[in-house]
Amino acid sequence: MRIGTAKETYFADEALFDTRTQRVWLLVLAALLAVFPFVASQYWLYLACLVAINVIAATGLNILTGYTGLVSLGQAAFMGVGAYTVAVLERRWGTPFLLNLLAGGAVAMVVGMVFGVPSLRVKGLYLAIATIAASFILHFIFANWTAVTGGTAGLTVPPANVFGLPLDSEFRSYWMIVPIAVLMVLGAANLFRTRIGRAFIAIRDRDISAEVLGIPLLRYKLLSFGIASFYAGVAGGLWAYFFRSVTPESFPLIMSIFFLACIIVGGMGTILGSILGAAFMTLVPEALKLVFGWLPNAEAMAVHLAPVRTMVFGALIVGFLIFEPHGLAEMWRRVRRFFHLWPFRT
Amino acid sequence: MRVVKWLVGTVTAAGLALAAPAQAQEEIVLGGSIPMTGVFAFAGVGIHAGIQDYVKIVNDAGGIKGRKIRYVFEDTAYKPDVSVAAFKKLTGSHKVSLYYGDSTAFSKTINPELERMGTILMAGASFATEINNPQKYPMQFMAGPDYSEQIGILLRYIAKEKPGARVAIVYSDSEFGRDPVEEFREQSKKLGLTVATEIMTPPGSVDVSTEVIKLRRASPDYTIFHGYVLAPIPQFVQQLKAAGSQTKFMGSFWTMDHSTVMKMGEAGDGFMGVMPYRYYYDDSAKAPMLEKIRQMRPEYQSTPYLQGFLTAMLLVEAAKRTLEAGKPLTGKNLKAALNSIKDFDTGGIIGVPITIKGNSIPVGRIYRADMKAQKMVPVSDWIHLD
Amino acid sequence: MIDWLLFLEVSLAGIGGGGLYALAGLAFVLIYKATRVVNLAIGEMLMIGAYFFFAAASELGWPVGLAIVAAVVASGFSGGLIERLLIRPMLGESPISVFMITVGLSSILVGLVELVWGADQLRLPEFMPTNPVLIGEAMVAPKIFYGFLVAAVLIASVLILFRYWRGGVALRATASDRAAAYAMGIDVPRVFSLTWVLAAAVAAVAGIVVGSISSLSPTMGIFGLSVLVVVIVGGLDSVLGALVGGLLVGLVEAWTGTYLGGEYKMLATFTLLVLVLMIRPYGLFGTHEIERL
Repeated sequence: MRIGTAKETYFADEALFDTRTQRVWLLVLAALLAVFPFVASQYWLYLACLVAINVIAATGLNILTGYTGLVSLGQAAFMGVGAYTVAVLERRWGTPFLLNLLAGGAVAMVVGMVFGVPSLRVKGLYLAIATIAASFILHFIFANWTAVTGGTAGLTVPPANVFGLPLDSEFRSYWMIVPIAVLMVLGAANLFRTRIGRAFIAIRDRDISAEVLGIPLLRYKLLSFGIASFYAGVAGGLWAYFFRSVTPESFPLIMSIFFLACIIVGGMGTILGSILGAAFMTLVPEALKLVFGWLPNAEAMAVHLAPVRTMVFGALIVGFLIFEPHGLAEMWRRVRRFFHLWPFRT
Repeated sequence: MRVVKWLVGTVTAAGLALAAPAQAQEEIVLGGSIPMTGVFAFAGVGIHAGIQDYVKIVNDAGGIKGRKIRYVFEDTAYKPDVSVAAFKKLTGSHKVSLYYGDSTAFSKTINPELERMGTILMAGASFATEINNPQKYPMQFMAGPDYSEQIGILLRYIAKEKPGARVAIVYSDSEFGRDPVEEFREQSKKLGLTVATEIMTPPGSVDVSTEVIKLRRASPDYTIFHGYVLAPIPQFVQQLKAAGSQTKFMGSFWTMDHSTVMKMGEAGDGFMGVMPYRYYYDDSAKAPMLEKIRQMRPEYQSTPYLQGFLTAMLLVEAAKRTLEAGKPLTGKNLKAALNSIKDFDTGGIIGVPITIKGNSIPVGRIYRADMKAQKMVPVSDWIHLD
Repeated sequence: MIDWLLFLEVSLAGIGGGGLYALAGLAFVLIYKATRVVNLAIGEMLMIGAYFFFAAASELGWPVGLAIVAAVVASGFSGGLIERLLIRPMLGESPISVFMITVGLSSILVGLVELVWGADQLRLPEFMPTNPVLIGEAMVAPKIFYGFLVAAVLIASVLILFRYWRGGVALRATASDRAAAYAMGIDVPRVFSLTWVLAAAVAAVAGIVVGSISSLSPTMGIFGLSVLVVVIVGGLDSVLGALVGGLLVGLVEAWTGTYLGGEYKMLATFTLLVLVLMIRPYGLFGTHEIERL
């Protein structure tokens, strides 16, 4: 049972990880993350990198949709912007990869803010539809601005370079992707200890009241779009380095829906939700494949794997919305509460 | 003395018994990212069956130098990232030497990895012009003509049938569709044909009436469709025929499967196109492999089946030649062995002996749909492009 | 010299296509009007109707008229089922959550169709006359023409229904003020179910027409995205708006397709959407929503 968590300073009260047990668990997690690439197979490393990239994009979307209440179906398109930026920079000038990732995030940020301008005129669902339009317009640009983006054929990206060592295997990519993911998630968690984060939450709850309280809506809404797009841009850049081929078809609308599903299933408005949701939704197809492998008539049933995967995806969204609207994060919190209050009941 | 002889006999027998399976264990692995579900499923299922059958034929005959072929595959639903994941899984758990990839996107994405690993020769369902480049894609090839070559074959036929004809191309707004348009323009100029119009349809569009109007206005003698499987070709064909247009319609590889063309119904009568293989029921000439296929599978097998079958045949042939030359199975050696294929008899799947100089086989024949007989009939000789 | 005949033909094709958009838009507006749900799965509901028709006409071999009726009834039934299972539990939740439910629904429907009928493209049996229709000198594709006729008749009947039928009045009452409707003795949950059933039936008709023009496939639902533009332009809760919006979007698509090129079609549609959102977010005929604290 959790006792004796009195705080004596504001600083201690606001800390992200306030109890000893939390810090210990965090160290364990860090150790696991560090040891994982040495014991995991190539395939599991590949999955881990993919989960990390999705975590970054989902966290960005959660900032925009979960914390600020602006529904966006354009996250994948902004990832595409980041990916193309990184691809072009790496191909033309071979600049260091960290710089490229920052540039990718920055360009995506600017583009995101441009498409965020309509958010002032329209709310809620209209905004979601505007972001769908943004998705299509960006896809058009990707496919037709052939001079820069290589048109429908897309671009191939040379691997990232660290002091001459090419990061081209899953093992090496892991060390590039996962630390960046950890940093960005910590950044997002910290964001909500600041004034800006609280302003976002105020806007989500009642934006007119927030304006009355003195929060300039235009500035903060655009900022939210910008930050979310920055995250998307970085995730897109990492995607480009990982898959090493960027085409207009790489970032379809269904990917934006996937990220929205991640945060719904994980829990909108929580950082833990983005992580859990992204990991869960990325690994569900793998779990399904396993289950299908166990079925008695495996060969014939394999044909049905893809449609069942689509149905499960939709069913997860619907199921979580109806039965557990606060997502996996809420389930996790319930488990934690049980252990905190034990032997008393919740 | 007798005891010693008996002992020696048993020990040798035991030794042989243990040694024999150890030798046969060294299988050659053919991996596949196969689109068995999803939008390309009709092709994927056929390709899968084709590869399986050919591997069975080879293994039944004893394999390559006593080594059997093992075919391992994963379903990708035609999604490039799932395809890449399947590749990594299969190469992680087996020593793969030959691979079948399901799409152009996959082939392009995996190319740097192929070069880095250097142990695999890859072919696939992609006939993209870009991949037909031995410098950029040194360990890949395709079992047929690339899309530009296919259009080239169609144009050659047109130029022979009607010199100076007006030609139009209708293609889809995708990488697949846009692939051969450059070649279309160049070849038309070279062969003295007039380009009546070029029409691009947005992907997933339902109504193509405006495009039909444009096509009608251009009154071409021949209209080539590329970048589609079926829709919206029947719309174009029906509406133009109903409007009294005399244009002849032609399609490229993925449209030309027998069942796809037959779905066009009455309007599809006279639809022509390029096909590098003989159809399943084609008995116009001796074709021992087709005979075998007909024996193994009594019902109609699609052209994707033949594509998978032939690709497996060429992959295995490359492995055979590499092993016969005593060389190890590396990507470079396999590709070199593939390129040594000259005047190779495919058992009748392609009607002429083939030579693989680069990454493709630029050979094809024009077939026409005969709706009354419910068959695709050949209307030209085998056209070589080199 | 502008080719007036070309312009006329293209415009007619645009109007014809627009009629289809209007029909699908009608199904969307019905749902939004009564239940305030933005149904992103409208394209998939269209698809289900078309596949039911395929099952009845091609797989079971029923005569076309019976197959159409069967498809419409089956589709209406599934619409009611969807409302009961998915929308009813979300009554009172934020509109964004309900929107996401329809997103999930679209995936479920696509998966279901792929599971039962496979992922290949299918052709519907021909049941519409194939001779091109001549309007003056301009030729119009027959399917477009008859599709437009069907759309026009259906929209007109729905407009009349809303005006004079008791159920239509109940629908309009529920749409404008739910609490007052309850107070007046209108069975609001029944109205909800009825709306979804009706909308699904209309979507089925649209789906059959769309399916017979091009082909059936599990990816048919992408049609729904263009319909979204139509209802935004026309106004989310206006039937007349769906008609006008549909025609407008159809014309814009036809003109861009012909004079600019096929790749600009979607761009033009979505630019129109963004413009309307910036200038007149509630559409041409939609009701201006006043946010009350």
